[in-house]
Amino acid sequence: MVDIMELQTRLSELSCRKAACGARLGEAARLARKLQLPLLGLFFAMAPTVAQAQDTPDYFRQNCVNCHTIGGGRLTGPDLKDVTQRRDSEWIIGFLQNPKAVIDGGDAYAAKLLEGSRGVVMPIAPGMTRYRAEQIIKLIAAESKLEKSQFQGVKISNKPFTEQDRVKGRKLFTGVRPLKNGGTACNSCHSMYDLSGLGGGHLGPDLTRVYERLKGRKSLGAWLMAPATATMQPVFKSHPLEAEEIFALSAYFESGAKHSEVETSVNRVAFLLMGLAVAAATVFLFDIIWKGRFYAVRRPLVEAGRKVWRSGDQLGGDERHSASNLAAAGTVGEQASPGDHS
Amino acid sequence: MVFHLDKCIGCHTCSVACKNVWTDRKGAEYMWWNNVETKPGTGFPTKWEDQEKYQGGFETNGDGKLKIKSTSKAQIVPNIFHNPHMPSMDDYYEPWTYDYQNLFNAPEGADQPTAEPISMIDGEKIDVQSGPNWDDDLGGSPIYAENDPNLAGLTDQQRLQLSSVERLVFFYLPRICNHCLNPCCVASCPSGALYKRGEDGIVLIDQQKCRAWRSCVAACPYKKTYFNWFTGKSEKCILCFPRLETGQAPACFHSCVGRIRYLGVLLYDAERLEEVAKLPDDELVEGQRSMILDPFDPEIIAEAKKNGISDGVIQAAQNSPVYRFVMEWKIALPPHIEFRTLPMLFYVPPMSPVQASKAEDTITHNSDKLFHDIDDSRVPMKFLANLFGAGHEGVVRYALAKQKAVRWHRRAETVGDIDRETADRMLREADCTREQADAIYELTSLCTYEDRFVIPPMHREQAIEMMKDPHEHREEVGFGFVGGPRRGL
Repeated sequence: MVDIMELQTRLSELSCRKAACGARLGEAARLARKLQLPLLGLFFAMAPTVAQAQDTPDYFRQNCVNCHTIGGGRLTGPDLKDVTQRRDSEWIIGFLQNPKAVIDGGDAYAAKLLEGSRGVVMPIAPGMTRYRAEQIIKLIAAESKLEKSQFQGVKISNKPFTEQDRVKGRKLFTGVRPLKNGGTACNSCHSMYDLSGLGGGHLGPDLTRVYERLKGRKSLGAWLMAPATATMQPVFKSHPLEAEEIFALSAYFESGAKHSEVETSVNRVAFLLMGLAVAAATVFLFDIIWKGRFYAVRRPLVEAGRKVWRSGDQLGGDERHSASNLAAAGTVGEQASPGDHS
Repeated sequence: MVFHLDKCIGCHTCSVACKNVWTDRKGAEYMWWNNVETKPGTGFPTKWEDQEKYQGGFETNGDGKLKIKSTSKAQIVPNIFHNPHMPSMDDYYEPWTYDYQNLFNAPEGADQPTAEPISMIDGEKIDVQSGPNWDDDLGGSPIYAENDPNLAGLTDQQRLQLSSVERLVFFYLPRICNHCLNPCCVASCPSGALYKRGEDGIVLIDQQKCRAWRSCVAACPYKKTYFNWFTGKSEKCILCFPRLETGQAPACFHSCVGRIRYLGVLLYDAERLEEVAKLPDDELVEGQRSMILDPFDPEIIAEAKKNGISDGVIQAAQNSPVYRFVMEWKIALPPHIEFRTLPMLFYVPPMSPVQASKAEDTITHNSDKLFHDIDDSRVPMKFLANLFGAGHEGVVRYALAKQKAVRWHRRAETVGDIDRETADRMLREADCTREQADAIYELTSLCTYEDRFVIPPMHREQAIEMMKDPHEHREEVGFGFVGGPRRGL
């Protein structure tokens, strides 16, 4: 008997292993299917890199001009005019491909640059290859020779901000006044010190102190001309801001610099609590509105039946016909409630 | 479909056959596409006939339109996350099995180990509170039988008699999906997953289109669509269409011990559907009969052929036992036609023992009235009328009287203790001829497999042709699902 049991256990173990093996095979097949997709994606991603190489000016406009000018003075990063004369191209190519590595490597010139940009490390531009870096150096060299480069920077008016500009800027920020080229209003992702209600969006940072952070209207203007972050670039690439819009927004941002940032954590807790309260109130309200809603059929039936039996026992069985039925049927009541039966 | 209740012995073989073939799966444990109920009783799920609770079926509203009780275009949105009026697990039952392993694994002790019931939902030990046929044979009748919705309209005395000793009575009601002409489940589905197959009228749920709204569960007044909690799709009786397509009777029909089930083709005029479904309650039974067409009428045969119905199907309609029960003899009746889904499953109402009359100290079972045992039968006529006649006794009495007359006719023929004259008088009064009585007797008592199940050639290829190019179809189909239906899209 014991032997047979053992045999059975072993057999079932074997079949388990077989099943596990089958599962593994299935998993491998699934993995292979999954792998095909990223491989294809990789292939397609490489093709456009070569094609874009001819669009170096566009690439420069999209990735560089928010921190650099060519002959327009310093923004966050230095003016690139004649940069090819200041450093040799190998150094520049190396820096472009990985600025942080160069800085961390203890390069003295790079450290100086970092100081100049007040600690902002230059990011690696998307799709930066050696070929691309060479193209950019060529472009900078060519543009530096020109009297007036197309990358001289934005001409944001220098006149002082008026209250009127600030009001206009606020309207643009909140979307009361739509952006001319159809861009998304700032407050869908950002908040400011004086937005009422639940404030602005929380996808992007609070912009109350942005004027100070980006060091004035010139670099702010350059940023707004071609926003470079992964989130903003696709949105504003096809809907750029107008120069006067940038001016008005700068005016608004400038006014924010005098205030402190909104305490977002407090805001969020309030928001959460409010949400909980509203949810609880809704549930409570629903419960009242659908008081007579459908609960169950069988359980109430059984409970009502039992109640009648008990009361039937006490009242002598003439409360309802069911109770008297029970008396006729005899033993059922005794079984159900032996304690009550007298 | 016809179920001859006078022959049903309540053995549940049909239910078990169906369970073994179709619903012995995870998520389907609680489903009984076929179940057998004891009447009076509350059935499965509990009190399914009570539409004030479950809101199933159609109703006619003020402006003469047919409206689904459980839902509407406006109600779908507020009920999007929760469909009210759904039977809960307790109204069905929590499916359970027994801990058989304990019989082998229990440590040595003074007592015999037992196999305790464990839930099939969570595997925990449960205290079984109800089951799919909990009120079988009047079990727990002070709770269940007394709450049978069909008892409405009965006098207190009649109710009392139903459960008193020596007058107690019950009969069985086997139920499957009625494959209605006007299926409420199909009408209610927001995903369009349910459909009534054109070639044979089987109502099916497309497992790939079903989006788990469960509108069909709420809408079906017979509670014959079930939600599979594991796959997240609704399921229902499929009338064993894979068997039908190969010329076999459905599992429950085939396995029926009492041979109570009949299957055959009925031709009907689908264009009159809405008009009939809106008739007042007392005209519904006749209305549905008027939709069913005579397969011997040359005009109808010509029209059917024009509509692409093959000769084989027309021939099957002419040999259909269902047509004879429902249309020629009019002794089979639809259940609860007042739900207005026009069910296509018909029941021959059961005869029941006669109510004894007590004169002084003698109890007699005889009376001078010819049909006294119908009028005084233990199951009150009103009860059967609620079940099969939308509350009206006429059609039920007709069906029972004819059955009674057939019995007396056969008794006069074979036993001879009843004189021929009385038997003929009964036949006359029951609107029956000797030939018809013999035919009823034969199809009821001497029927063979071929008599009971006249399955037409299904011609799937023609049915597919109606929808798309068969060559295209052949390229698209395989062995069914890869991996089976599951939750999600």
